[in-house]
Formats: sequence, C-alpha cells, structure tokens
Amino acid sequence: MRQSFHYLAAAFAIFLFWTLMSFALELSRGWPLIPYPWNVAAAGVQYWNQWIAAFASSARRFFISLILSFATGLPLGLLVGASERLHRWFSPLIYLLYPIPPIALLFFLYMAFGVGEMVKVITVSLTLFFQVLVAAHGAAKNISPSYILAVKAAGANSLQLHRHVIFPAVLPEVFTAARVSVGLGITMLYIAETKLGILGGPGAGLGGFIETYAMRTDLSLAGVVGLAFLGLAFYVLLELLERWLCRWKYAGKG
Amino acid sequence: MISVEGLRIEYGRGRRRTLAVERVDFQVADGEFVALIGPSGCGKTSILLAIEGIIKPTAGRILIQGEGVRGVRRDVAFITQDAGLLPWKTVRQNAELALRLQHRPREGVQEILKTLGLGGFENRYPAELSEGMRRRVGIARALALRPEVFLMDEPMANLDTLTRERIQEIILRLWHMYRFAGVLVTHDIEEAAFLGQRIIILSPRPARVVEVIENPEMGEAEYRRSPMFYRIVARAREILKSQEGR
Repeated sequence: MRQSFHYLAAAFAIFLFWTLMSFALELSRGWPLIPYPWNVAAAGVQYWNQWIAAFASSARRFFISLILSFATGLPLGLLVGASERLHRWFSPLIYLLYPIPPIALLFFLYMAFGVGEMVKVITVSLTLFFQVLVAAHGAAKNISPSYILAVKAAGANSLQLHRHVIFPAVLPEVFTAARVSVGLGITMLYIAETKLGILGGPGAGLGGFIETYAMRTDLSLAGVVGLAFLGLAFYVLLELLERWLCRWKYAGKG
Repeated sequence: MISVEGLRIEYGRGRRRTLAVERVDFQVADGEFVALIGPSGCGKTSILLAIEGIIKPTAGRILIQGEGVRGVRRDVAFITQDAGLLPWKTVRQNAELALRLQHRPREGVQEILKTLGLGGFENRYPAELSEGMRRRVGIARALALRPEVFLMDEPMANLDTLTRERIQEIILRLWHMYRFAGVLVTHDIEEAAFLGQRIIILSPRPARVVEVIENPEMGEAEYRRSPMFYRIVARAREILKSQEGR
C-alpha cells in the first residue's frame, strides 16, 4: 500500500515536471515543443489499438528474453562461480564478452537471424544474460564459507550443496542485477525495434511505434510513456518475485 | 572411540606451504568429553576438520570406532563457530537439514527444539533470532543426527558471558542425556575447564600436544564455582603462557 503511494507520488512528480517543461518551452519558443501530458494521453487513447499492440509485442519480447537469460545465465554463473577450476578457465572469457554491447553486433545478428522476432529477443536476451551471469558468478564466489562448511559437514553432496546453499544464496544478488538491467534491456529492445525492426510497422513494438510517429510528437511521446510503463512493470514483477522467493531477506523487518 | 595418530596437516605447496599440525596424537573414549585448547590460529580447527573428514591429513591417521575416516560419517556431528545456519531456511528447516541431506527420517527434531528452548520459534528465520538462539539451532541440527561423536568448533565464540555460560550448560546437559563422545575446540580456558574431562593443550602453530590436564570433577553446572575449577584454569593458563613466544 505504502509502495503504491510512492509510485503514485513519483508519477505525479513526473507529470508536474513534464507540464512545467512543456509550459516553459512553449513560452520561450512560442509553440509547444514538448506536448502537454494530457495531449499525449489523448493521442494514446486515439491510437489505443496500435499502442496496446506495440506494448504487448515489446512486453512479450522482454518477458521471453528475461526467462531465457535467467534459464541460461543463472546455472552457468553458479557453475563457474562455485568451482575454482571453472572459474579460472571461464572468468576471463566472461569478462571479455561482458562489456560488448549486443547492439554493436546488431548488423551481424540481423544477418544471422533476419529482421523478425528472433533478432530482437536475442539482442535483449544477450544483454540480460550477461547481467545475470556476472551477478550469479560474483555472488557464488562470495558465499560465506561457514554455510558451505556447515552443509558439507552435514553430509551434503555437490548437488545438495548447490540446491540448499549456492542457489538460494545468489538469488537476491541476481534479482538486484536483473532489476538494475531492466532499463538497459529496454534500451536494447528499443534499438533493435527501431533499426530494421521498424519494418514491422507501428504495432510491432514500442520502438517501431515511436519511430513511425516520430513527426507526431504527441504520439511519439505516448510510445515513450509505454516504454516507461514497460520498465516499471518488469521492475515490479522482479521485485515481487524476489519478495516471494527470498522472503527470508525481509524476515523481521516488518 | 576416536583415535588420532601421528596427525600432520599441511596447506599449500612450495613456498606457500604452511604446516598447521605436526605429530598430534590423542584418543577420545566413547562418551568422553575432551577440550582442545590452544592459541588462535594454532591449528585446532584443522584437527577437528580432519576428524570430521572434511580435510585429508598429510600424514598420520584418524580412526573412529576402529575405521579410518574417509569423508563425512553419519554418526559424527559438527558445529561450526557461528552455527552456520542458512538464512533462507527456518529454524525447523535448519534443524532438519542434516537429516534431510542424509535422507533420514526427521522425527525427534521437534522434541530437540523444545529441549533447547526453541519451541514456538520453528517457523522463524535466523535473522529473527538472538545470537544465543541461533547457536542453539546449530546444536539442534547436530543433535538431530543422534551422533556418537560431537565435534564443536568454538560454538560459543563471540557470545556475551551469560549467553556463553548458558550454552555451555546446555551442552553439558545434552552430554549427560546422550553420552556422545565430544571434542570441543576453544581458546577460552574457562570453557575448556568447564566442559573438558580432559584438556589437551596445543602449542602455537604448528599444533603439537603440549600437555594433557585431567579434569575428572567436571560435569555439574556448579563446578564453575569450585576451587578445583580455578586450579585447573590456573594450570591451563600457566601452560599456555609458557608457550607464548615459542
């Protein structure tokens, strides 16, 4: 409840700032360079079908990418982080590839996977994959030796050690990394949807919607608002998931 | 019976080689409680880990009930310095963990939790407990195995005096109840004198047995106030001080 109030307060603050900016620019330039929020809302309602189709396409892509990145990055990060030998061999590879933005390889990705759905999902998945992988790897390396000793002394085998100690220990850090990467992932999705992705038309993703209506500032901004909602939705989803899976973290904190 | 014979433990290789334990011999009879005491970093924990089967001795051998130790045994329980509770598991899940890992029935855990004053806290997470309660959960986890041998690595470290004494008394009561063979590693002289039927004094690293003090009158909570207790403490302190700077 308190959290919802904070989100509403933030939305109101943005609304106020946006209105003031629009007003100031209108005064200084003589015309509304940035459309007022209510104009953007009206344009969004007018093109509701296209807007919601674009939002749904982008959300679907981001959701699939999130699942793919967790399904691959998490076990790989645990494996490499928890084994000294694998860490020695694979860490340099991870840290060599990690800084490369997948967008830099977009041309090659288009060549390999075409301009359809696949390339957008792969671009975002690659971005999130490395965030999850690096977080899981780092967290697995820093698990308290006391947990490992206690569980080994209780007779745990390697699989049990991963299940009872390593996996739950890294989850909070992985969720934090994933939440922080939502913004980056959405940036990558936007770029993938606006380059050759624009061929899909305005309903094929928020990037395409924004680019298609670049000359209609009210509609273009309605697309930007859609990106903000998309980010917020995934941020909240990840936070709720973390609160459920890592409820021990919040124990005793009211 | 635990038999430690000619135990030598080294870590690292080449220039980084560290000798932690050198030629340590001692026995612990069934139902006997022995305290290993020595300065910090002398190799006490290494001895305990070798008995537990977590680390392999460089030389020498360790026998439990006549069998060589080749890994963690089902009849040996181990408590780490900070209890090693998993923060994502509740009190009950932590207490049942060793049984669960060994695919053994989880009966009797509730009773042990009650005995240790943890009834009503079964569904709490470790973060919701006091430090003393957390240590008791660690004891419950070890005790749930119904061990023949109980290895304790400074289980009362970093506790305030009263909590430490309470937990010492709990351990003493459990020893009377279950009669396990106990090996307690500590650097607290009074703790060793309160719980150890024999106090094995170790040298600074590499650990060697310097002297063994017999302490046959231990066993009651009031022993802490007896003249014999003070004599044992004074004797152990004297030996440990004589080792300083060697």
